[in-house]
Amino acid sequence: MSEERVMSIISGVGIAGMTLFCLIPVGYIIAVSLSSTPDIFSQSMSVTGQNYADVLTSENLHVLAYLRNSVVISLISAVCAVFIAALAAYAITRMPFPGRMFLLFAVLAMSMFPQISLINYLFKLMTDLGWINTYPALILPYSAWILPLSLWILVSYFVQIPHDLDRAALVDGCTRLQILRRIIFPVAAPGLLATFLLAFIFAFNEFMFALTLTTDFHVRTIPVGIALFQGIHGETPWGQIMAVSAISVVPVIILAVVFQRRIIQGLTRGAVKG
Amino acid sequence: MPSYSHSDIKGALGFTLPLIILLTVFILIPIIGTIITSTFKDISFLQKRFVLFDNYARMIGDGRFWQSFRFTLLFIAVSVPLEIILGLAFALLLNRTIPLRGLLRATVLIPWAIPAAISAKMWQLVYNFHFGLANYILHALGFSAEPINWLGSSASAFIALVIADAWKTSPFAAIILLAGLQTIPSELHMQAQVDRAGVVRRFFAITLPLLKPALLVTLLFRTIDALRIFDVIYVLTQGGPGGSTTSLSLYGYHLLLSGDFGYSSAVSVALFAIAFVLSIMYARMARFSEAI
Repeated sequence: MSEERVMSIISGVGIAGMTLFCLIPVGYIIAVSLSSTPDIFSQSMSVTGQNYADVLTSENLHVLAYLRNSVVISLISAVCAVFIAALAAYAITRMPFPGRMFLLFAVLAMSMFPQISLINYLFKLMTDLGWINTYPALILPYSAWILPLSLWILVSYFVQIPHDLDRAALVDGCTRLQILRRIIFPVAAPGLLATFLLAFIFAFNEFMFALTLTTDFHVRTIPVGIALFQGIHGETPWGQIMAVSAISVVPVIILAVVFQRRIIQGLTRGAVKG
Repeated sequence: MPSYSHSDIKGALGFTLPLIILLTVFILIPIIGTIITSTFKDISFLQKRFVLFDNYARMIGDGRFWQSFRFTLLFIAVSVPLEIILGLAFALLLNRTIPLRGLLRATVLIPWAIPAAISAKMWQLVYNFHFGLANYILHALGFSAEPINWLGSSASAFIALVIADAWKTSPFAAIILLAGLQTIPSELHMQAQVDRAGVVRRFFAITLPLLKPALLVTLLFRTIDALRIFDVIYVLTQGGPGGSTTSLSLYGYHLLLSGDFGYSSAVSVALFAIAFVLSIMYARMARFSEAI
């Protein structure tokens, strides 16, 4: 057998294995969510939409509130982070100032800090401010937390925009802000989208801040909601938990499939430059 | 020395100010605050007292601290290499010209994009003693007659955690390494093929050396993430059984919950110090590998 033939067989098997590895757990979530019992291989198992009906209609489970909190908080945090990072990325790539490389690397170093070394102080700060269990208590730390990543991705996009483009505008008397809005933002739109998507996914994924700085469904996000999920009756309500998981995971999957190219580009830009 | 224009510096200050303020208030000051708190005996409802290094001295004699320290190191040592090998395998597969490549890449992104706390809950069900998928699979493959109590013993709970974490993070390694593979000029491989170098030979002589920068970056990011691991453990094993899977982050968090702010801060600062040293070490290594 030729080497190419062997390789294509190996890669076919590998791809099948990789796909199963990635998708079986997701399929499992969906299977259990649609099953009358968490034991999906049992004889008495039947397909039902009851779990979904339960979690979406029960007022005591607050599933929709968790989802709303997650989406609103992640959305606002991502928009703030991308905007603030875009301003800074513009300055770093366009306005030579002393210490800009230091700033870039200091920001990168901050993204390596363990969250546990921040939460102690943040918890006390938010308690003193009376902000525990409010949106700002999550939105502000989230925006800061996803800033390093956003900055690094945007810098990598902005350095690629030819300087002549905005230099000409500067000569024509445009202000820096006008240049940013009318030239850089439109040209770097794909980069801004990639950065926004990653920032959103990072905020949507965040756990420790949300766990510590919220106390109930008014602000609690979906990862914490699921982690602390208690059924109304004693036993662990696996079917309901998996129904909530499926509901919150499906939008993420759609995002990953639709924006696959952008997300991968953003991820690589953020990391490889490091 | 580059020359800086005065107006540029002023403008740049204005443009970077929001970033600097946000990072200072919510990252830099908190870390300094934590370092300061770590020098106090600061327990809920008790008078705060400056004790300098007492909390650190307590750490040295604290068996539970060392248990979580050892667990964290072992977790890094096992999970990071596994994730990089899996990620490299995925990257090599995704780099081939295959049908549905876009869809396959999206598939690999899915585990990465799902919040760790949510996937950890799913894994908890997978490892369920009575009706979890893991025991069904082992049974179907004929491996074990008796179901395994995955989260019941420290060794199997460790394996369970490593698998759950690898599922979530190997895709990240794959994406970074794929980008690295794409920077390798295909002419190199073609030339080697003309010279009758086999696949294995080409992998070790061309792919691996040229992939070194991407491998280093992946290693850095994965090591730091594994070092501060929290959410998967919090949900999947709660640090058990018997505290055997408690990471440093989780131990610090338990102390925080118990209201022992001073000692919790000291543990957090220790973790922070390790992360800091690691990132500097890797930065040096990366620069070194570029130089040669």
